[in-house]
This record gives sequence, structure tokens and C-alpha cells, in this order.
Amino acid sequence: MIEQFLMGLSVVLQPEILIYAFAGVIIGQLIGVLPGIGAITAISLLLPVTFYLDATSSMIMLAGIYYGSQYGGSIASILLNLPGTPSSVVTCLDGYPVAQNGRAGLALFVAAFSSFVGGMIGVSILVLAAIPMTHIALRFGAPEYAMLVVLGLLAASLVGTGSQLRSFAMVLVGIALGIVGADATTGFYRYVAMPEFADGISLVSLAMGLFGVSEIINNAAKRDRTAPKIKVNMRDIIPTRAEARSLGGPILRGSSIGSFFGALPGTGAAIASFMAYATEKRFSRTPEKFGKGHLPGLAAPESANNAASQTGFIPTLTLGIPGDAVMALIIGALILNGIIPGPRLMVDQPMLFWGVIASFFVGNIILLLINIPLIRLWVLLLRIPYQKLYPVIIVMICVGVYSHRTSVTDVVLTLAFGILGYLMKSHRFEPAPVLLGFVLGPLLEDNFRRTMLIYRGDFMVFLERPISAVLFGCTATLILFSIYSTIKKHRHRETPHAVKQR
Amino acid sequence: MQIRDHSQSNIFHRAASGGVLLVIGLGMLVIGWNYPTGQLTQMGPGYVPRAIAVMICAIALVMIITDITGATIAKPSKIQWRSLIFVSASMLIFAFLVDVAGLVPSVFLAVIVSMLADREAKPLSILIYATLATSAGWLLFLVVLELPIPAFWRWS
Repeated sequence: MIEQFLMGLSVVLQPEILIYAFAGVIIGQLIGVLPGIGAITAISLLLPVTFYLDATSSMIMLAGIYYGSQYGGSIASILLNLPGTPSSVVTCLDGYPVAQNGRAGLALFVAAFSSFVGGMIGVSILVLAAIPMTHIALRFGAPEYAMLVVLGLLAASLVGTGSQLRSFAMVLVGIALGIVGADATTGFYRYVAMPEFADGISLVSLAMGLFGVSEIINNAAKRDRTAPKIKVNMRDIIPTRAEARSLGGPILRGSSIGSFFGALPGTGAAIASFMAYATEKRFSRTPEKFGKGHLPGLAAPESANNAASQTGFIPTLTLGIPGDAVMALIIGALILNGIIPGPRLMVDQPMLFWGVIASFFVGNIILLLINIPLIRLWVLLLRIPYQKLYPVIIVMICVGVYSHRTSVTDVVLTLAFGILGYLMKSHRFEPAPVLLGFVLGPLLEDNFRRTMLIYRGDFMVFLERPISAVLFGCTATLILFSIYSTIKKHRHRETPHAVKQR
Repeated sequence: MQIRDHSQSNIFHRAASGGVLLVIGLGMLVIGWNYPTGQLTQMGPGYVPRAIAVMICAIALVMIITDITGATIAKPSKIQWRSLIFVSASMLIFAFLVDVAGLVPSVFLAVIVSMLADREAKPLSILIYATLATSAGWLLFLVVLELPIPAFWRWS
């Protein structure tokens, strides 16, 4: 494994590939800094460019955009209290107060450092897990794939912030949208209202509509952020010894939590950062300090979301199952280059497989090194008021969607999904589960149908095959745990009432 | 105040999200009614859509019940009509012009219309901004990224 990793390093360190790793992480950090434009927009804009690159370079660049945006996302959170990416929402809670206390430099440094450690731990776990996971993945049949997707979809709706019922409903709506188009097995057209739908709804349209356009509609007319004042004092960026000592635990716990939720399909960086913050607050001896500029509350979610964005590549690279929408786009880029991701990838394309993994290692180092020196540039970018930014984002989204399939219908569809996403948000529905259902739904249908066909409709097969049984156990645990915590929450809600009445 | 929350006029608001979901589920069932379902061991293309539609309907009903009987419910935030209209118009303009007029005019018009969503934007600054944004877009999309879209239709 060390040997393969070194081979990967030798691939990345070739100048013509290194430049794409560099470009990827810089673009990633840039779009992470700018609120309202995310990795999905940037990756879909660059998808056509990857036609001209070889598969390894395009993968390295697109992946760099993804984890680079996790670094950049924290910058807007800390300086403006405005999350640059969904996974840095939690970073605002403690990062912004630290900056308000006049120690913005310190907050940025802690965020960058925790991100780096989290990212590196994530990469190490990816390196360690790659070979064993591939061996397990080679034994995956239809029942295992079906069960894993069920686990992922349930995890996406049960773990997280919003109402579980609403999240699950959104997963189902996502699956429904994924059904549109020709049926994979029989070619039968389902819900094809227009001939353009025959190939199915474009993932790019759905993602950019639900996340990009809906945000713009929500914010374009608001006038509360005119020329934000940002002061960064670069003199005290180094934490004191006591502060540094208090960060070790949170970073390690955050990285472990992040690595776990990243590797689980269905939960990603956003959920990981939320869970890391909640855990840290729960087990802290001083929970009252959280939310007022407590450094562990900044370090834990930042290390978690970066660890998660690295381990998210475990199911993507070994199983070919995308854990979230960005991963689905990256898999799409691989398929455009004629490479089918899955258990055979490591065996058939070792240079690509290990090169991409080694690029994460190099990319994290580049990100740490450029983060602090470039801070003035990011601050300058953040001074641009949103009113000067959103028209450009609209154009980027339009051109990105249009150039993806050269389709005008896709642009109109993106707008439709944008309005849908906007209405959903105002009625407390979250958009992320829709996207996941859309991406994983077809995989679920295909593998479930195949399982039922091969095993003659016998549901016991899910328990008889060892890997599938383990996945079933995880799913059952997840359901039981969420029922338990719902009951507990209800009791919690009732007790204060009882006390009041007395 | 609390009695008012449960009044008849509000019941529709409360049931709105579940109701829309129910319509989606029923719509899926009706449109997909004639899709061949097959058996469990030999599923047709209609099997999974019908199962998903039934599940959506079930969840929608549960949601309607819990939303109506539940204690308090967060009111949906007010719709930002101005930005909704201008952002939509801007994207539609791009969609319908890009094939006919090419990238530069469609981007220019889309930027202008989208900026109208901001109440305080002044005509001159809109014009200057749109010119700058269009040139930057031309540079990024056509010169750097070399996307296969004509700048102007006639010159392609």
C-alpha cells in the first residue's frame, strides 16, 4: 500500500499533472470563499474542459475543486458569518465570534490548520482502506449494492438537522425524479413529458437549480449586506500554548467523526461538521462557551468536513457509488473519459487510482501553504457586495448548464428547480436529500430488481449473504437509534411542561 | 392567539406541504397507471414507480395529519417576488437567446435583467456592470475555456 501510494505520488509530481492539482485547489478555494457559488457550479462549468484532458488530470482537478472549496468555505463563515459552502454553516457558530473579538487572523489560522489535519487524516484512512475495501467491493453483488444504497438513503434522511419525515419525503421525490427517462432494463419511457426527457433529467440542472438558483432568488433583493467591513489583524494568528493544547482533542475527534460520515454514502461533509460540533459541545466540560468564540467549536467541524470530503472518495473510487451530488458529477466525468468506476478501477487503472489519492495528499499541503498568504486576496473578494456578485453567478450557472449538454431545455429546467428549491426552503424542506435520492435511486432500482430476479423474490437473501447482513444490521441500528432519540426528544419536551404546571 | 392558530382559515396553510406532496404522489400513480408492473420476481418498468408513488402518498398523509394536529408551525417566510421574477426572466432570456443570438448578447441581456432584482441599482451602473461582466464572460467562456458556443450567431 505504501508502494502504491509512492507510485501515485510519482504520478502527481509530474509537472503537467501537478499544475492541474494546483489549479483545482485554487479554483476550489476561490469558489468556496464566494458565498452562493459552490463546487457543483464550478465542476459542471469545467466538465466540458475535461474532454481535452486525460482522465487522471481531470479527476485530480475536479477533486481538488471539491476539497479546496471546503477550505475556502470557512473563510466567509469566519469573516462574514455567511457560509461559503453548506458544510461550513457550523463554522459560523464559533468562527465568527472569534473574528468579532478582534482575532480574525487566529480564527483563520485555526480553521486552516484543523482543515489540514482533518484532510490528512481523511487521506490516510482512504489510503489504508483502499485495498481492503476493493477486496470487499469485488464480492459485492446486487443484494449488497441495493442494501448499501438503502443504508445511504436512510442515513441521509435520519441523520442531520431537519425533520426526518420531511427529509425522507425529499429522498422519495429525488428517486421519483431519477425515474424520469428510459428504464435502464427495458428501455421503456417513463414520465417522458417532452422528448428532451428521454435521457432523464440532467443532474447538473437539478443540482444547480436546487442549490444555486434558489439561493440567488432568496438573497438577490435583500439589501442587508452592503460592503461588509472586514478587519483582519494578521499579527496574532498563532494560538497561545493553552489554546493550542485545547485543540488537539477536538481536531482528532472531529476528524474521526468526519471520516466516518464521509465514508458512509448518503452523509457527507455537511452532516459530518454538524455531528462533530454537536459531539464536541455535548462532551465538553464547558458547553456554555460554545457559540461565543470557543476555538474547539471552530476546530472540530472544520477538521470533520475536510476529513469527510476525503473519505467520501472511498465509496466513489472502490464501489462506484457516489456519496453525494459532487461525487456523482466526478463519476460522470470519469465515465465521459471512458472509465467505469467500481471495484475494477484499482486493478485496471492503478496509475489513475493511486495518482488521484496521492493528489489529495499534495493538494492538502498546497492548500495549507496558500491559505494564510492569500488571505488578503480572499478578504478583497469578500468586500464585493452580493448585488455585484449574483448576476455573474446567474450567468455562470446558465452557461454551465447550457454547455453541459448544449440544451436550452436544461436551462429552463434549472430555473424550474431553482423556484422549486426556493419554495421548498420556505416550507422547511431540505434540498440535499432530493439530490441524493436522484443520484442513488436508479442504482437502487436496478440492483433491487436484479436481486429479486436472481433470488426469486426471496427477501431472506439480504440476511443470508454476510456483507449484506452486516449492512442490514447497520440499517436496523440506524432506524432503532433514530426511533430512540425521537422518543427521548419527546420526553424532554414534556418534562419542562410538567415542571411548569407543578 | 393560540386558538387562532388552529382556526379554519389556517388549516390549508398547515396542510400545504403535505398536500403538494400528495398531489405529486397521486400524479405519479395516475400517469404511471398503465406502465407494466410485472411480478416481484420479474419487475416491469412500472413496479418501482408505483411503489415510490404509494410511499410518497403515505408520507404525505402522515405529514398532513401531524402538521394539522401539531402544536405550532413555523410560518413560511414571505416570497421575494421581485427577485423571483427578475431572476426567472433573466434565465429565460438567456435560454431563448443563446441559440439564436449567441453568447455575448444573451449574457449581456441576462445580466441587465437580473440586476433589476436589486431595487437600488441605477441605470448607468447596470450598463457599465453588464458591459464588464459580458466581456469577462466572453474572456472566460470563449477564450480561456473555449466552450463550443458562438459569440455572435452570424460570425460563427
